[in-house]
Amino acid sequence: MPVAKAKTLFDLLPHLLNGLTLGLLFALIALGFMLIVGLMEQINLAHGSLFALGAYVAMQLTGPRPPLPADLARIWLTLPLGWRYVATLIIAPVIVGLVGMLIEFCMRRTYGKDPLYGLLLTFGAAMVIEEMIRLVWGTRDYVLQVPSAINGGFIFSDLIWSTYRFYAAGIAAGIIGLVWLLIEKTSFGATVKAGAHDSEIVRALGINLSRLRLLVFVFGTVLAAIAGIIVAPIWGIRPHMGVDAVIPAFLVIVLGGVGSFWGAVVAGLLVGLCVGLAGAYASEWSLLSMYILLVVVVTFRARGLWGKKSVLEA
Amino acid sequence: MMVGSKSSSEAARLVTPTMLVLWLVLATVPLWITRIGLYPYLGIEILIWSLYAMAFNLVLGTAGLPSFGHGAYFGIGAYAFGLCQFDIVANLWICLVAAALAAGLAGALVALFISHRRGIYYAFMTIAFGQIFWTLAIKSHRITGGEDGLLKIKRLPANFGLVSFDLTDNVAFYYFVLAAFAVGVAALWRLVHSPYGRVVAAIRQSETRAAHLGYNVWLYKASIFALSAAVSGFAGGLFAMAQLAAFPDVMSLHQSGYVVMMTLVGGGLVSFWGPVIGVFLFLTARDVIGALTNAWMLYFGLLFIAIVLFRPEGIAGAISAALQQHSLNALRQRGTSAMRLLVGGGR
Repeated sequence: MPVAKAKTLFDLLPHLLNGLTLGLLFALIALGFMLIVGLMEQINLAHGSLFALGAYVAMQLTGPRPPLPADLARIWLTLPLGWRYVATLIIAPVIVGLVGMLIEFCMRRTYGKDPLYGLLLTFGAAMVIEEMIRLVWGTRDYVLQVPSAINGGFIFSDLIWSTYRFYAAGIAAGIIGLVWLLIEKTSFGATVKAGAHDSEIVRALGINLSRLRLLVFVFGTVLAAIAGIIVAPIWGIRPHMGVDAVIPAFLVIVLGGVGSFWGAVVAGLLVGLCVGLAGAYASEWSLLSMYILLVVVVTFRARGLWGKKSVLEA
Repeated sequence: MMVGSKSSSEAARLVTPTMLVLWLVLATVPLWITRIGLYPYLGIEILIWSLYAMAFNLVLGTAGLPSFGHGAYFGIGAYAFGLCQFDIVANLWICLVAAALAAGLAGALVALFISHRRGIYYAFMTIAFGQIFWTLAIKSHRITGGEDGLLKIKRLPANFGLVSFDLTDNVAFYYFVLAAFAVGVAALWRLVHSPYGRVVAAIRQSETRAAHLGYNVWLYKASIFALSAAVSGFAGGLFAMAQLAAFPDVMSLHQSGYVVMMTLVGGGLVSFWGPVIGVFLFLTARDVIGALTNAWMLYFGLLFIAIVLFRPEGIAGAISAALQQHSLNALRQRGTSAMRLLVGGGR
């Protein structure tokens, strides 16, 4: 990525682009978290750990030693990396979704009570998942292999650009669009939103609310895993990556406003641009800039950019 | 009202029988702790973290405000202790006061931004500020030593004018920390049971009602947060002495989460002594289970999940139910309502 000192607007362009791609990734990371907060009014602190778990599972599946019987593993390894990568992009989120299902079964006890219960429960779950990751994979860093078609870089106006970043940003934008379609344009989305708004009426209409909640929660964890797989080649795979993801995720949600889809997307882009531009002037402090952005925005707009009133406020 | 303060005569005292017994037992710890395979340093850690968790419980248990970034003030205290020692004056008392003051000021600054909040948004804002302080600590290499930490902090001698005690030995330092802990606990007990503490507890139960009674709710919420931060900073100063260094690690989101866990597992929501029980369990489990398996956090995490699901009143609640033949159900309801109040503060 470009490291030239930013002086004119044209010099800033790489940083702006970098910030935009980063922003789309932040929005993607926040997406699953946002769905669970917005539609279930539960804060899933295990989001980051599920994100990391997705990356680890994907790494294991595409790596040289897949967790399969010897014969199957040999067949699997003869497949080209591109095929394996695409298959992993589907299989790994399903595995993480099963873990999410387990968390939701525990979380059922806390519905109708204080959201703080869910928050504490998922904090415990995050600890457990992170410890499991450490047990299975140790503390070393791993690299997720990606097909050569989206790897490497290209030169444009004397600067080297990483192809993968653009691929990742494109995928992120695509998934954000798909999720929007699912929530806003399908009857499933309508039912889920109704369930969040007035669970009693929805139940009285004969809809199985607990199955609906399970679906939403699992969907949120699947999105966390996909985000993990997409981001892993950029950030690297290590046990701490979960915390690195959950903090921007909640930041994006608070900034965008709880319960607002486009608020989260815009906030993600804003945070990405802020970090990208801060990186141009003081790269050491670029992470700090997003917290300051949050404090400034929330001081003046109590519910974030587009937040609605929710039970979480009390 | 809290379970630990049932009789009003106890609440009015400076030192309660429970405290005296606890201090006496704690005073004998160095005599036997090595015989059961542990070491005095664990005792020091437990006392310091207990003081920290009790200070934290002022905000969580007494005021009912969920703060998830409290590690910041503990860490600021530790750094302030070291920096005061290096750059201002190497006097134990001045350095400890500096630790409490620096953390208290940071807490007051944060309180300005968050004291009109409640519930989950309060939690979010405390996390954000905790992260700001943590990033500052890691990135200001020249002041804090960055990720390597501030090293070579000395255990200054405790000078009482006529006599001066050397604290470099762990046993001597243990007794110093025990004295500080005793003073701190007595002060916190008085604070919680003072008219001021009662108002704070009333705000936990209903912010609107307290406001209608004419109390300046914002000021109470801000001041209890700053006070809690100051005592946390004091504990942080002691911790810097214990470790002979100050590290940014204690300020991370994880470590801030641990103090929440310790307080809740112990039963800080229903008991004054809850945080101490939680810290004792957490740190002893870390050393005992940690010696057997690397994955002790896994088991503690599972225990924590079980407590949140089945025993929201924590261990202190369960003990006091057993001792006083309370019906466990009534207590559980109290734990549940305390939990509810944490978020639903003003309803």
